[in-house]
Amino acid sequence: MAIRKACVIGAGVMGSGIAAQIANAGIPVLLLDIVPKEGNDRSAIARGAIDKLLKADPAPLMSRAAARLITPGNTEDDLDQLGDVDWIVEAVIERLDIKQALYQKLEGKRQQGSILSSNTSTIPLSTLMQGLPESIQADFCITHFFNPPRYMRLLEIVGGPKTRPEVLRDIADFGDRMLGKCIVRAKDTPGFVGNRIGVFWMQAAVTAALDLGLTIEEADAIMGRPIGAPKTGLFALLDLVGLDLMPHVDKSMAGLLQPDDPYMKIRRDWPLLQKMIADGYTGRKGKGGFYRLNTAGGGKVKESIDLKTGAYAPSDRARLDSADAAKGGLKVLVTHKDKGGQYAWKVLSGLLAYAASLVPEIADDVVAIDQGMKSGYNWKRGPFEMIDQMGAAWFAEKLTAENLPVPAFLETAARAGGFYKVEGGQIHHLKPDGSYTPLLRPTGVLLLSDIKLGSKPIMRNGSASLWDIGDGVACLEFHSKMNALDPDSLALVKQAVDHVAKKMRALVIHNEGENFSVGANIGLALFAANIAMWPMIDDMIATGQSAYKAVKFAPFPVVGAPSGMALGGGCEILLHCAAIQAHAETYMGLVEVGVGLIPGWGGCKEMLLRWQPGARDPKGPMPPVAQAFEAISLAKIAKSAHEAKELRFLRADDAVTMNRDRLLYDAKQKALKLLEAGYQPPAPQELRLPGPTGRVALNLAVEGFALQGKALPHDVTVSDALAEVLSGGKTDFTETVTEDQISKLEKKAFMSLLRTGPTLARMEHMLTTGKPLRN
Amino acid sequence: MPAYKAPLREIRFVLNELLEAEKLPELVPDFADATGDTVEAILEEAGKFCEEVLQPLNHPGDEEGCHFDNGTVTTPKGFREAYATFIEGGWTSLPCDPAYGGQGLPKLINFAVEEMICSANLSFGMYPGLSNGNYNAIHAHGSDEQKALYLPKLVDGSWTGTMCLTEPHCGTDLGLCKTRAEANPDGSYRLYGTKIFISAGEHDFTENIIHLVLARLPDAPAGIRGISLFVCPKFIPDADGKPGTRNPVVCGSIEKKMGIKASSTCVMNFDGAQAWLVGKPHKGMSAMFTMMNTARLAVGMQGLGIAEAAYQGAVTYARDRLQMRALTGAKFPEKPADPIIVHPDVRRMLLTMRSITEGCRALAYWIGYHLDLSQHHPDIEKRQESDDLVALMTPIVKAFLTDHGFHAANLGVQVYGGHGYIREWGMEQLVRDARITQIYEGTNGIQALDLVGRKLPTGTGRLARRFFHPVADYIEQTSEKPEMAEYVLPLAKAFAKLQQATAWIAQAGLANPNEAGAAATDYQRLFALTALGFMWCRMVEIALARKDDDRDGFYAAKVQSARFYMARILPETNSLFTILMAGSDSLMAMPAESF
Ligand SMILES: Cc1cc2nc3c(=O)[nH]c(=O)nc-3n(C[C@H](O)[C@H](O)[C@H](O)COP(=O)(O)OP(=O)(O)OC[C@H]3O[C@@H](n4cnc5c(N)ncnc54)[C@H](O)[C@@H]3O)c2cc1C
Repeated sequence: MAIRKACVIGAGVMGSGIAAQIANAGIPVLLLDIVPKEGNDRSAIARGAIDKLLKADPAPLMSRAAARLITPGNTEDDLDQLGDVDWIVEAVIERLDIKQALYQKLEGKRQQGSILSSNTSTIPLSTLMQGLPESIQADFCITHFFNPPRYMRLLEIVGGPKTRPEVLRDIADFGDRMLGKCIVRAKDTPGFVGNRIGVFWMQAAVTAALDLGLTIEEADAIMGRPIGAPKTGLFALLDLVGLDLMPHVDKSMAGLLQPDDPYMKIRRDWPLLQKMIADGYTGRKGKGGFYRLNTAGGGKVKESIDLKTGAYAPSDRARLDSADAAKGGLKVLVTHKDKGGQYAWKVLSGLLAYAASLVPEIADDVVAIDQGMKSGYNWKRGPFEMIDQMGAAWFAEKLTAENLPVPAFLETAARAGGFYKVEGGQIHHLKPDGSYTPLLRPTGVLLLSDIKLGSKPIMRNGSASLWDIGDGVACLEFHSKMNALDPDSLALVKQAVDHVAKKMRALVIHNEGENFSVGANIGLALFAANIAMWPMIDDMIATGQSAYKAVKFAPFPVVGAPSGMALGGGCEILLHCAAIQAHAETYMGLVEVGVGLIPGWGGCKEMLLRWQPGARDPKGPMPPVAQAFEAISLAKIAKSAHEAKELRFLRADDAVTMNRDRLLYDAKQKALKLLEAGYQPPAPQELRLPGPTGRVALNLAVEGFALQGKALPHDVTVSDALAEVLSGGKTDFTETVTEDQISKLEKKAFMSLLRTGPTLARMEHMLTTGKPLRN
Repeated sequence: MPAYKAPLREIRFVLNELLEAEKLPELVPDFADATGDTVEAILEEAGKFCEEVLQPLNHPGDEEGCHFDNGTVTTPKGFREAYATFIEGGWTSLPCDPAYGGQGLPKLINFAVEEMICSANLSFGMYPGLSNGNYNAIHAHGSDEQKALYLPKLVDGSWTGTMCLTEPHCGTDLGLCKTRAEANPDGSYRLYGTKIFISAGEHDFTENIIHLVLARLPDAPAGIRGISLFVCPKFIPDADGKPGTRNPVVCGSIEKKMGIKASSTCVMNFDGAQAWLVGKPHKGMSAMFTMMNTARLAVGMQGLGIAEAAYQGAVTYARDRLQMRALTGAKFPEKPADPIIVHPDVRRMLLTMRSITEGCRALAYWIGYHLDLSQHHPDIEKRQESDDLVALMTPIVKAFLTDHGFHAANLGVQVYGGHGYIREWGMEQLVRDARITQIYEGTNGIQALDLVGRKLPTGTGRLARRFFHPVADYIEQTSEKPEMAEYVLPLAKAFAKLQQATAWIAQAGLANPNEAGAAATDYQRLFALTALGFMWCRMVEIALARKDDDRDGFYAAKVQSARFYMARILPETNSLFTILMAGSDSLMAMPAESF
């Protein structure tokens, strides 16, 4: 059954976030909550939740259009609207009686065979269904989202003994394709997959930090990047999720787990935590948490708590050799002699063994658990991947040597040589019975990482590679640090176009990095500028322009398939593609002014073309110039693929994929379709631009802003350079300007800005702090 | 015995014509008193003092050396009296803060004075030189109390100071420092350990000596991040600030050494000596570094001083010494032979000494000028820009000027032939004295590492910008002038090589630090020669403009020196470039056992 309309009941943070993500997928959704005790608006709670969605940062909604798909209501007046709803998600307070009463109340109102699910994280499905009629049980499952639902990729799905298989199939399919989630089928056990292991991790990490006497900075320095967790580490993470949540989660886990569960051995009373909560130190939402910002005396001093005394003192950066040594791998970390190394071992030895003891109790295989931790806790590697990195046999031996229990499954893995192996270019994973099964991807999922296992690149240099992804389609991958574009990347763009023109049919530009590309390598440009190597920089601009031009006018279709940030030069290459298949979570923008520059690789030119008047747009030379000027001079960043369309970084007919894992496949299909339709490259265009009068008009506006203090002194200089390019230089409306002429103007303006001190200061500041300098 | 004449005309040229230092009082309110007249008077006086008092003591001081007797050190005859005259003249207070009795004059002026002192008597110069380093460190990092207690005495020269860093097992790598500090109940500390090679650690000039000592607190982190700075007086000042109790910091012996024999080089034993923390715990190295820049520039001035002295000695001799005839026929047929100054090879030596020395003076003073701006310019951005330039060029000034000092001293000996090798003539002393300047305050190899490993990467090349942009702009602007072509074209070529080498080191060094390490010394020299090329272009431009008003032939000589530099010195950049671009392979391939 396809889900065409949905309803979320419970408009709290999770419920409204889930509703937003459903709307992001283009599906209309009812958002219901109870009727408030006061006021006239009986749907005030749901309506207020939608207002909050529009204001929240990071934004739960991908576009304003999505907000319009959410209809607020209440559970007393609006249940009659459930007649055409295919899926109802319950996200109300974690109380069994309330939930069960609600389910009962829905009977008769909801469509027959519609899916009913709960977002509970603490009540087992068996308990929820106790005493309820079969009709409910057959349509019921748990859909457990992680906060915030738009950004956390994990969706755990749990069925009961009576749940119809189609329910699970349909909801998994919808979650995957439409909501873009990573689906993990979990068993009906406490904490399901993510929290069962995640809560153990946090508890173990706290306990070990207390036992080993680490400062919170030291603990965070190890429990972050070094073990492959987000860099927030542990205590900063607890501050983020809220300290008061801890005792709740612990109580519910302890209430549900067997007394011999290893978790029961590591949990303990922690008076400091209770005192902090009582004093209002509940984390970022409260007065502060383990860290706090002391603003006494007008300053802003970051302080950390002393775990022994509970006193705050100014934070000090942790100095642990082990944290640096961890670059050499987990094994180096856990065998490091300093207390960071001991700490890592203490936590990971317990945690990973625990994980190994939970298959198949909480999930059928290691893949589900690894994916759960990666997509639910943003770990770089799942527990079984961590064990494999150290070597399963080595890990088991070390546990034995320290008289720690070795779970049977780990012993099996130690004998077999790991939980995963690659054979014939394919990943296989170990089952508890000792056999390996191939890891099969669903149709529509094509991963570059899989392709890499089974083949060699067609060409490669330090910053980019070209891969054969089948059917005559090649994939150009950037892989420099943060995918910053440098001369090597540009060289490969050019070579790739030449190669595909001769030997293949189409090209996709895609990578699996966190960000598609953050733009040109400004470190390189800054250093070259600082030592006055102007010809070299000139050459870098020219090379970029000609590489991107080659992409645009290639005799075959080039499809860009971005995910994450596509900024500056990374955005510009996409602007030159024949078509885009974008991940919904794509953030595009021409942000060069932040470093005192303007787009030099055709970004100005392409934005002018994008804003050429269509049938319904105002005519004349000025509107496109003004629009492009606004987008670039304000360094606007689209916060989603949908927003990118509004800002015309994407064309109206560019396509969006919700699930990242499906992006490359969709892009490849798009390229093949373009071929089928008899692809023809675009013809170079000529533009009519306003010339100096346009430049003056734009400058007037900027100077106005400057007078009001809304534009900074150097903004005026940068804007003027941009205005000169966008208005076409010394042209006027009676003449036409070619694309190449605009490119020349771009280069000239870029070079002149690069010679100014304030631009160099902006670049340096960005490199050292990651933030724009306001000068 | 080579006579020394303070090169005031040269110094004035750089100060007034090249740097236009007489405008400093307008540009920087702090220097309102540093008018042209004042500066002129100072230079005259300093020149006279150096020529008449210091220089005559140089050779006897070397012959006699310092005497050690049971913890006391006696300096050679006449030194003590010279020092008394020196402080009476107020020379120690010249660049110091008026708040502590200093004259508040630009460091630039002090650079010129230091140059002259080092030409005349390097050993003597060590004592006030170290005091000034000590003064700078306390001024920058001491507490108000410490400043009030020590600075006035250091400024008026009635006490001297030392820098106690080196220990038997650590010189370059101060992270290995073992001297320990134990806390006293009253907040002071007791120091235990041995420092070696401590210049001016003990002497008979003054009633008290103030040691600045690097040591480790009990809870110090290992390595360079665990070192603190302490002030430890020989006599603990009493309530009136007079030298009181003798502190157990004692000179154990003095070194017998190659040169600067009148400068005492002491083993200092700290036997529970009472000391006070300067600055923050464990931050001793960064405190050290703020004063190290000035100290390193001062060592550069020592190299310059020696080079000038060697050149003057060589020229005098080359005019007098008659040997052989000029290759093209006798120049002085009335004499038994021509003076050796007619021979191309002797001229090669003289002009090498001269053109590099003059270039060095211009470079060092330019940096001295910016050192002043970096501390006193009213505009904070200008201060930062100057500070960047000084930071970038400090290793170059230190290493290149001292390398040149030694090289020039050697050439000086060569010009004298066998007589250069004989003590009595004084030329070999310059070689011996110069040699240490390449070693202390961070060996010249370490300077090169500082340049490539620290200074170039800072701000992704921000420091470099302060040199590269002015030079690039200068070349762009000047290449149009036909009379400058002979100078600017070679500069442009060398500069292009420097740019390429810089870009290459930045990239190759990122991938493999050994590449940067292998290239560092050659790169540093390439940089320095190019910088001198820039200074020479600017100097010759001035000289060319004034050649019609050139009664003493000064400008004509400048033009000739410039031509020599451009034609016969600057091209060394080509070979340096080729060498450093060859990479580290041939250098790192040989296993240590095969040496
Ligand atoms: C006359 C005299 C006066 C002095 N006065 C003082 C004073 O007043 N106060 C004081 O504290 N010290 C003083 N010193 C000590 C002086 O500063 C040191 O000798 C100097 O820093 C070098 O240290 P070192 O002798 O231990 O040589 P080492 O550090 O052992 O160096 C030996 C060689 O190895 C090279 N080297 C070392 N590390 C590296 C590296 N990482 N890369 C490349 N090359 C490297 C060096 O360049 C050098 O060539 C004085 C020394 C002398 C001789």
